[in-house]
Parts: sequence; structure tokens; C-alpha cells
Amino acid sequence: MEQGSFHRLRKSWAIQARVIHALMIRELITRFGRENIGFLWIMAEPLLFAGLVGLLWHFTHGATEHGIGVIAFVATGYIPITLFRHGVARSVAVFTANQSLLYHRQIKIVDFILSRFIIEVLGGMMAYIFMAVVLIGFGEFPVPADIGLVIAGWLLYAYFCLSVCLIIAPLSEMSEAMEKFIPVTTYIMIPFSGLFYMLSWLTPQAREFLLFSPFVNGMEMMRKGVWGNDVTAYYNIWNPIICSTIATMIGLILCRRVRRKLTVE
Amino acid sequence: MIICSDIKKSYSHGGRVKHVLQDVNLVIERGDRVGLLGRNGAGKSTLIKLIGGVELPNSGKITRNMSVSWPLGFAGGFQGSLTGLDNARFIARIYQREYADIRRFVEEFTELGKQLRMPVKTYSSGMRARLAFALSLAIEFDCYLIDEIILVGDQNFQRKCQTEMFERRQDRSIILASHSPEFIRNFCNKAIVIDQSQATMYDDVNDAVDRYDRL
Repeated sequence: MEQGSFHRLRKSWAIQARVIHALMIRELITRFGRENIGFLWIMAEPLLFAGLVGLLWHFTHGATEHGIGVIAFVATGYIPITLFRHGVARSVAVFTANQSLLYHRQIKIVDFILSRFIIEVLGGMMAYIFMAVVLIGFGEFPVPADIGLVIAGWLLYAYFCLSVCLIIAPLSEMSEAMEKFIPVTTYIMIPFSGLFYMLSWLTPQAREFLLFSPFVNGMEMMRKGVWGNDVTAYYNIWNPIICSTIATMIGLILCRRVRRKLTVE
Repeated sequence: MIICSDIKKSYSHGGRVKHVLQDVNLVIERGDRVGLLGRNGAGKSTLIKLIGGVELPNSGKITRNMSVSWPLGFAGGFQGSLTGLDNARFIARIYQREYADIRRFVEEFTELGKQLRMPVKTYSSGMRARLAFALSLAIEFDCYLIDEIILVGDQNFQRKCQTEMFERRQDRSIILASHSPEFIRNFCNKAIVIDQSQATMYDDVNDAVDRYDRL
């Protein structure tokens, strides 16, 4: 019996992996087409965003801030936040947008969120790597002191983004008012995302408060991984892990409830 | 075998509730060809969607002991912005079939030629029907769910469906919603009439058609 259910679980995993793979390919074709650079476009926006804002800061704030390069600092902040904003934007009304695919029973609504999110994560990572390589070439970016820590920070940051998407997607189907609040909320989120500062630059009270934000913890990890001993970072890996896991649970429950009521044309 | 037990389905919008199906109990055996009769809005498509797992019942349980196709109808199943062939590739992937085989069958069955490289949203309902039937026949289900769409096809398509679905695949089950009693009389051995959110199964198609005529 035990063996049987384990076998079934493995088979279901295989099916979901196949479905997500197919959905990702479909998404890439519909979004980027097959012409010119195709899916490489996915890097374009985070890169442009990080690059242009970085340049802007370079001229307004000077080349360095607290002893680290401004362009690199802005870039390491903007690429993760683009992941968050894109992830959320792509989750709104994702079930209605894809409803014709719900005709195929093996496609679950969470697959829609996952496939879109994985694309965003891969795009963000590619942009991060590309940008780092180019900036290292220009001497504007340090060779990361601890790549493992950068990746761990990125994954935790992404995990929290995903868990938020898992909540946003079903909520956006439940009420249209919700949809209207999302742009404002993602905007207000920016100060709590660790984008513009390192915690060590702030007062102890502000630091303590901001450490409640899973984004800030992830961001500090990434920056510590990039600059190593040049910066002081404050983070607790359990904060993003616990917050994301709780949010994921809530999200999955909401998804299940919404699926029961979803009307498919 | 497909077993529907105590199915209840209602839609609510803005505080209003419409009970579409109530206490529906049905058993569909392997090899059954079931016609689905009922007036517009009676719940034929809803029942097909529930059996296909596209929508979920408010309460009750649907047990499927055989592979069931997605509902073949005017809507659903395809991504409109993708070409017919891209859709075929997607479906081959999620149903774990060889794309080359599926493609060969689709090209032959649909006779759509170059149109298969056009987005599905540019297709007429007849073309859509051809693509949907071709794909579901290539995948080989035990039970086919057909929502109206068979009748939109032209002579040539109907003849093809006739041979592929009703002659070559006699061992399969079919659940078919249609407003044409004639069609159901010719092709089905059982029928379900849906009226006032009740679904009644008739072992004699003629009885069902009589009841439907009196609705």
C-alpha cells in the first residue's frame, strides 16, 4: 500500500513536471515569439531598468556610496525587485487568462503560476549574471566574494515572491477590487524591499523593524555574497523561509478554494 | 466506467444562485454511446464539463475508471494565439505522445494544410472541430466527450468522424450533447434527458427523444 501511494506520487510529479515544461514553452512562444532574439528578451527589461537607474544614480549620487560602487549597488537591488513586480503582475487573473487550458485535466491551476514564475526567475538570474559579467569587465562590479550566499539569497527572495504570487493569483479571481490594489501595494513595498540601502547604514530601530521583511533578509544575503568583507550585512535566513512557507500554505488553500468555484467558458 | 454520484452544481453571481444540476446520479459503462438531450441552458454543457473535470461540482463525486477526453466543443482546449501545430505540440507534450505521430494524423484528418500554421483564433468553428477531433482521436481516449460541435462539420468531416469514431472505435464510450434527436437516434444506444436540474438516463433512446419532444 505504502509503495503504491509512493509510486502514484512519483507519477503525479512526473506529470506535473511535464505540464509545467509544456506551459513554459507555450508561454515563451506567446510572449516572445520566434523572431530575433526570442526569449532572450526576458532579460531585457530587468537589465534596462537596472542599467538606466544605475546610471542615473551614478550621476546624482556619485560613483560610490558608503564605499561601494553605485551602479553595482543599484543593479543588485533592481533585478530582484523586478522579479517581484513581474511575478505579481503575471499572477493577476492568471487563471482566467489560461482557462481554455483547464480543459486538460492534468493541468492544475498552480501550474500556471509556477510556469510563469519559473520563467521570471530564470530571466532574472540570466539578467543578474549577464549584468555582473559586463560590469566586472568594466571594473564596476566586484567578483562575488561568496557565490553560494548570493544564490541562497536569490532563492530565498524568489521563494518569498512565489509565495506572494500564490496568494495574489487566487485573490485576484475572487474580487476585482483586489486587482486595483495590487499596483499600489507593489509600489509601497519598494521601501521594504531593501532596494536602496543596506541595513548597516540605518539606525538600529529601523534595522530591527526592516528585518521583519523577508525581502530585506534575502537582499542583504545577496549583497553580502557580492561584496563580502566590504559590507556589514544583517540577516536571518529563517525569516524568509518561515514567512514564505506560511504564505505558500495560505496560497495553496486559496487556490484550491478558487478552483472549486472557477467557471470555465 | 464513469460514475457520477450525488452531483450538485450551481452558479452564483451577484447574490443570485442558479441551481443547474441537483442530485445527479449516473453510470456510464465502457462502450456506451450516450446522447445528452435538453433545452438551451438545461445543463448539458455543464454536465459534460463536470465529467471532463473542467469544472468541479459543489458536492458529489465523479469517479473515472477510464481515460476521458477533454470536452470537444466550441470553446476551450486550445490556445487561440498559437498555431494549430503549436497547439498539437503542446497537447502531445502534456499527454506524453510522440509529436511526429500526432502531427501526421492531424494533417491527414483535418486536411487543413497550410492553415495549421495559422493561429487557432482565426479558425472557423468547423476547422476547430476538425482539429479537436483529430487531436483527441490521435491520443486515443476510452471515452469521448462531445459538446454539440460534431454537427458544425461539413459532409466530408462528418463522414470521417463516422468512420474514425463510430466504426473503428466501437469499443469506446461517447457522451454527446446535441439538439438533433435524429443524430442521437442514429448513433447512440442510451440517452440522458436533463430537465429542471435533474438528469434521467434512458436505456431506450426513443423514450428519451419522446420525453425531449414534450419539453
